[in-house]
Amino acid sequence: MTDAELVVRTRAGEGEAFGQLVSRYHDACWRFAYHMLGERADAEDVVQDTFLRAYLAIGRYDERDQFRGWLFRILTNQCRNFLTSRGRRTRRFIQDDAAIDSATAPPSAAPLGVEDAALLRALGQLDPLQREALLLKYAEGLEYSEMSAMTGAGESALKMRVKRGSERLRVLLGRDIEGPAL
Amino acid sequence: MAERPLPFPAPDEQSGPGEELDARLVQRLRAAYAALPASTPQMAEDCARAVLAEAARPQVGGGRGARGGRRLPRPQWWWGAAAAAVLVVSVVRPWRPEASQRQADSAFVAGSAVTLEGSTRVVGDGTVRFELRLPASAREVSLVGDFNGWDEQATPMVQRAADGTWSARVPLEPGRHTYAFVVDGQQWLVDPLAPQVPDAGFGPTNAVIVDGSSP
Repeated sequence: MTDAELVVRTRAGEGEAFGQLVSRYHDACWRFAYHMLGERADAEDVVQDTFLRAYLAIGRYDERDQFRGWLFRILTNQCRNFLTSRGRRTRRFIQDDAAIDSATAPPSAAPLGVEDAALLRALGQLDPLQREALLLKYAEGLEYSEMSAMTGAGESALKMRVKRGSERLRVLLGRDIEGPAL
Repeated sequence: MAERPLPFPAPDEQSGPGEELDARLVQRLRAAYAALPASTPQMAEDCARAVLAEAARPQVGGGRGARGGRRLPRPQWWWGAAAAAVLVVSVVRPWRPEASQRQADSAFVAGSAVTLEGSTRVVGDGTVRFELRLPASAREVSLVGDFNGWDEQATPMVQRAADGTWSARVPLEPGRHTYAFVVDGQQWLVDPLAPQVPDAGFGPTNAVIVDGSSP
């Protein structure tokens, strides 16, 4: 059954049809979210929120769009929102210049339970928009036009993010660019 | 589940002006992506069940929070505080140059020995200039707010050589905007003399309202 047929059935209230859509795209969403967020539990939360939003908005889905692209548009937004929220939760607001001078940089958290931890750690140090562009371009294999439609950013901006992200990633990995034998 | 093959970029794609990641690194990124243990059918099933259950419940408080819990509705006092803050900001009208210039001679600054000065004013064509003067030897300062997704990289402030004031000019749509400053990429700072509002429970932020009419 095609995605479009499953969407029609979902709109008609068939929960099983929506379940099939989830099982079809859960893995892809989870991989992307995990590489964006670096934490499994966070990725699971964001993926669940993504499917919830997709379900609630399925009446507005335009069948001329690829369902996967539409879903990833929601997913990338959810990842951004989550990163913003997480960043703000972990920051301390201060009004005192002595504290500004004395505060130290936060430790970088290493991702857990992944095969190529160095790469994941390096990805985690990229600007989120650069990380998003690199993953969409190279891991998801999207064209810039598709990325632009998905993220709302212009193609030139996306190319620049990929370029800057690539340069930064190479610097972060340094001599370890070949990585572990996988 | 149907796994879409991950397409490798064509050679001409990799040599484009924006394509700087070499083949070894692309291969490595793809391998790491593919090596991650796939989500199990059980995970997808649990997810679908949770989504359908959540969708069937009345939506209160704006959706789920992290770790699967529903975000609690804001308490009554929050709405009162928010309304009061908006009222204060509306009356003070900090975007007016004559009203928004605040110097470091208040009781707060004198009491804490902080000589911080901030100002916010409309400079024409719908843009707002944010200025901040810091006593410390800050290397870089950026402006973050709801208008740039709280992205520390999006709006770096420029330091004027003459007086050391950090400055940024941002086009803002009419309406209420919240903002803060980030010093050296790690310290978030609010201007203590500018109007402040709570922001979703994460801490204070400054607020500015841009009038719908021409400045």
